[in-house]
Amino acid sequence: MAAVAVLLVSSGASATGLATCDSGDKSQWMPVSKLESQLKDKGWTVRRIKEDGGCYEVYALTDKGERVEAYFHPLTLAPVPTQKR
Amino acid sequence: MRILVWSRGIRLLHWMLAGSVIGAFITHEGGGEVHEWLGYLALVSAVLRVIWGLLPSPDGGPGQFVRFRSFVKSPSATLGYLGQVIARREPRHVGHNPLGAWMIVALLGLTLAASATGWLFTTDAFWGVEWLEELHGALGEAFVPLVLLHWAGVFYASRRHRENLAAAMVHGRKDA
Repeated sequence: MAAVAVLLVSSGASATGLATCDSGDKSQWMPVSKLESQLKDKGWTVRRIKEDGGCYEVYALTDKGERVEAYFHPLTLAPVPTQKR
Repeated sequence: MRILVWSRGIRLLHWMLAGSVIGAFITHEGGGEVHEWLGYLALVSAVLRVIWGLLPSPDGGPGQFVRFRSFVKSPSATLGYLGQVIARREPRHVGHNPLGAWMIVALLGLTLAASATGWLFTTDAFWGVEWLEELHGALGEAFVPLVLLHWAGVFYASRRHRENLAAAMVHGRKDA
C-alpha cells in the first residue's frame, strides 16, 4: 500500500506556480500514504499525487464527483489555496 | 497575372490555427482555462481544415488549392521534388508545393492529436492519468521542430521564387 503511494508521487521537476509551500526538508514531510487515506476517508477517488512547488498536488474526483487538482501542505496535510488561472 | 489563391475563409482558418497553437504552447504550463480554450479553438480549426480538404474538387477558383488531392503527392513524387530542391531545380507551385503539403498534413495531424489528448485529460475517465499528461506534453513539444521547419520552408521557397508566401497568406493573392 505504502509502495503504491510512493509510486504515485512522481518526481515533481517543474513548478507550475499554482501554489507554493514552505515545506523545508523532505525528511520532515508527512507520508503520501497518510494524505491519500485522509482523502479516501472523505470519499475522494485519488488519481495521482505528485509534488509541485513544495506542496503535494492531488488529482482526484471528490465525493460529489467533481474533478479537482488540489494542493496540500506536506508538513500539516492542510489544504493550500491555489491561484486562479 | 495576380489571382486569388487563398480565400478569405482559408486565410482566417490558417491564422486561427497558427494563433491558437502558439497561444496554447505559451500557456501550457499547468494547463488552465485559457490553455484549454485555445486547445478547443485549435481542434475546431484543424477539423474544419480537414473537412474542407476532403470536399469534392471545384472546377476552378481558390477552392482548388484547398483540396488535399490537389496538392498532397505520393512519397516518391515528394522525394523527387526534394531532389529537385537540393539540385535547385524545383518548379514553382502556385498552391502548396509537395514538401509544404506533407508539412500541412503533419501539422494538422499533430494539432488533432495534441488537442484530443489535452481534452481527454480533462475528462473524468482520464483525469490525472500520468501517461496521458506526458503524451500530451510530448505532442506539444513536437510542434517546435515542425513549426520551425514550416517557417524555414516558407522563407526558403519565398526567396527561391521571389515572392512573399507569408504575405500571400494575409492578402491571398499570388502570381498565377
